[in-house]
Amino acid sequence: MKYLIFFIGSLAVALMIFLALTFSFEPGKTDELDLEKPIVVVVKATVAGQPMNFWSVVQQGINEAAKEFGVEVNITGPDHERQINRQVNILNTVIEENPPLIILAASDYYLLAESVGVAEEKGIPVITMDSAVNSPYPVSFIATNNVEAGIKAGNEMNRLLSEGGDGAIAIVSHIRETATAIEREAGVRQALEKQIITGTWYCENDQKIAYGNTMEILKDTSVKGIVALNEIVTLGVAEAIRDSEASNRVKVVGFDSAPQELAFLEEGIIKATVVQRPYNMGYMSVKTAVEYLKGDNIAPLIDTGSVLITAENMFQREYQELLFPVNDE
Amino acid sequence: MHRLFGKLGTLESRFYLIFTLLFFATILTMQIISTRFTINSLRNSTLENNRLLVNELVNQIDTYIESMERISDAVVEDRDAQVFLESSLPESESSKFLQDRFASYIRARDDISSIVLFRQDGKAISGDGTDSSDFSEYRDSPWYQNALKAEGKTVVSTAYVQNLVPGNYSWVVSLSTQILKPRDKSPQGVLLVDLKFNRIKELCESLVIGEKGYDFIIDPMGNYVYHPSLQLIYSNLKHEPIKNLLPLLENEHPLFRVDGRNYLTAHSERTGWYVVSVSFDSDLVTGWPYVQLMNALIGLVLFLIVGMVTNFITKGITRPLRQLQSVMKSVETGEFRTAGNIDATDEIRELAREYDIMVGRIEELIDENILEQELKRKSDLKALQAQINPHFLYNTLDSIIWMGEMKKSDEVVEMTSALSRLFRIGISKGSELIKLRDELEHVRSYLTIQEMRYKNKFRYLIDIPEELMDCTVLKITLQPLVENAIYHGVRNVDYEGLIEIGGYRENEDIFLTVKDNGEGMDKTTMSALVTEDPERQQGTGVRNVHERIRLYFGHEYGLSYESTIGGGTLIRIHIPGNRSMTT
Repeated sequence: MKYLIFFIGSLAVALMIFLALTFSFEPGKTDELDLEKPIVVVVKATVAGQPMNFWSVVQQGINEAAKEFGVEVNITGPDHERQINRQVNILNTVIEENPPLIILAASDYYLLAESVGVAEEKGIPVITMDSAVNSPYPVSFIATNNVEAGIKAGNEMNRLLSEGGDGAIAIVSHIRETATAIEREAGVRQALEKQIITGTWYCENDQKIAYGNTMEILKDTSVKGIVALNEIVTLGVAEAIRDSEASNRVKVVGFDSAPQELAFLEEGIIKATVVQRPYNMGYMSVKTAVEYLKGDNIAPLIDTGSVLITAENMFQREYQELLFPVNDE
Repeated sequence: MHRLFGKLGTLESRFYLIFTLLFFATILTMQIISTRFTINSLRNSTLENNRLLVNELVNQIDTYIESMERISDAVVEDRDAQVFLESSLPESESSKFLQDRFASYIRARDDISSIVLFRQDGKAISGDGTDSSDFSEYRDSPWYQNALKAEGKTVVSTAYVQNLVPGNYSWVVSLSTQILKPRDKSPQGVLLVDLKFNRIKELCESLVIGEKGYDFIIDPMGNYVYHPSLQLIYSNLKHEPIKNLLPLLENEHPLFRVDGRNYLTAHSERTGWYVVSVSFDSDLVTGWPYVQLMNALIGLVLFLIVGMVTNFITKGITRPLRQLQSVMKSVETGEFRTAGNIDATDEIRELAREYDIMVGRIEELIDENILEQELKRKSDLKALQAQINPHFLYNTLDSIIWMGEMKKSDEVVEMTSALSRLFRIGISKGSELIKLRDELEHVRSYLTIQEMRYKNKFRYLIDIPEELMDCTVLKITLQPLVENAIYHGVRNVDYEGLIEIGGYRENEDIFLTVKDNGEGMDKTTMSALVTEDPERQQGTGVRNVHERIRLYFGHEYGLSYESTIGGGTLIRIHIPGNRSMTT
């Protein structure tokens, strides 16, 4: 009996040592996450080919990270950025499905907070991306530091004005209550402290309204510069400037890098644009999510950075992938 | 700790432990070696496939670029192109033909982005009909500058965004060739063929290893031509060990391994690029968990077998030892078993043999000891027997002397002959045992003498069944009892004493009784008859008889007494019946 116990004991020890040793020899050992359900990313807009080309690049970054870290990621969201209620509904549906983690790019700082509260009650971790939400719950916020980006735009405007004489500046913003708009405007105003700012126009993220706003602004001949706070606004402003042939009188500093914007940049209608790194944003959001789910420490705020692009540097090698995504035609 | 060592104290468990550990270490070492070997061979075979794949990729890229170069060459040789380059006219017949030809190339090859022939004066002919004035400033572009440097050779650019026409951005790889006048080699213009980079990208994406594998392309300086996640690299979110790769590029098939990633490189002759294929060990060795499980199982089975074999071997060693042990244990109980021919190794058989010899020797010694004891006992018996004689002889001889003085010659004769008979039987050829008949004759002789000495003091009666007469008894057993009956019984009473000698058989044993009607004894006197007390001479003869019987026949035999003061004494002799002892 004693020997039987001894025998079984040594056998068990042997088994454990064998397994431990053999499994520690796994080549290219990957401690990948094994998730039952995919991580869900709720983006602001999903329709590709829209001016919001930003989100398709975000998706590329998401997919790249998903492949690299071996996790499944579902991307969902409304067709267009202005469909805030639709995004709320989508988020609520996603929460009901109990995903391991939700990455959210909130279209509205306040309106999505309630749903994030529901996720909190259900214990689903939330990471916010691009635009924050009015809740302390999200474990991390991965975004362009929009104040910083605004300051970059403002500083460029300062430089442009110092070349071509003083004047007032107008700001055209996309949506009143979006965090990106609020923060970028704050950054711009911070950089342009010493300048006269005639006011901020809101266009409901509609290119036509932005166009109209610009036509309105141009009536004030003291305005020498316009800062447009996102892609759609920039395109609206640029079209108005082009149509009224005011590119020499009014300097435009925009945001984002739609192909059309780059064309305007090359033409000189837009003097500079502050470009975020949507690819990095998508990549980092999934990377952070994976790290969080593995139990690693993650930073509560991750800045994916922004770059000021002008006609001079737009064809530099290091910005080419950023500005001209290689599309699969 | 103590307990553990206690448990490991047995030979069996020590053997077991040592064997187990030894075999375990051996199996484990073999497992590790075979595991490493398996991994390496798996990795090598997959890397070999990977190598073929990279070479194939490079081949395809080269073939592709080559086909483009042919187009480029065709244009350079083209007569219309020559005419266009040599004329200074803004527009001509040949330029129209040339443009059509370019357009047909582009239509035929959907991977060509554009074909443009630039003349020295800036006039250009484009396949898509773009007017010369629509081109942005191109003379500073790398493709143009490099073509001038190459002096007639076709130059392949890196992948970049071509912005020849403002607002039109496409990823291309440019083939640019400076066209020189055949006669004096003076520059005439530059031909640009832009290839859509997508084709190369698709090639890179299609030929990858595993789920995570990818390819990237660098130029000889280590600059990226293509990388699937170049943005992450420029943002420092991802790193490739370019610095480690560059020195290796000269080798035929450079392989660099880091963090479970394998970098395999192949050189494209046409482009000067290095195609790097990245594969992950986790993808390479896909059957790995299965291999591990198999290894663990094989290891376990081997270990089990070893365990059983060890058990068998250990038992084989310890079983004969245990046998020997049990044989030895038997000695403790006084049973001298020998081990005999144990089925065991030579050493243990030797041990068993030595043990048997030892046991034999002990047995001999014990036998010798018993013999010695026997001899001693016999000499003791003789000594006890010898004590009987002197008083009686003295007294009898006194009586004879006295009778002689009284001239009672008949009585002298009777007593002397009785005495003679007494001694004859007493000597009885030295034999210790005599027939009861003779013993009775002996006691009768004695009684005859005593009767004559103590005239009318007592009479005696011998009443023993005839069947007992031939039984053997220890000699001179009755006489001391009769002597006792006379001296301590009947001698001192006023009335006529009576001594009765009887006998009977009970079961196998024989009982002889000597009964007197004398004064009897109290308990202390009686016990003095059996217990040895050198202080008291009384009853020495009786006690000797008791001792002798016990010495000779064993402790269950001997004398017993019944006596009361004034009520006479009965002494009973208990001896075994039919004991034929010849000594």
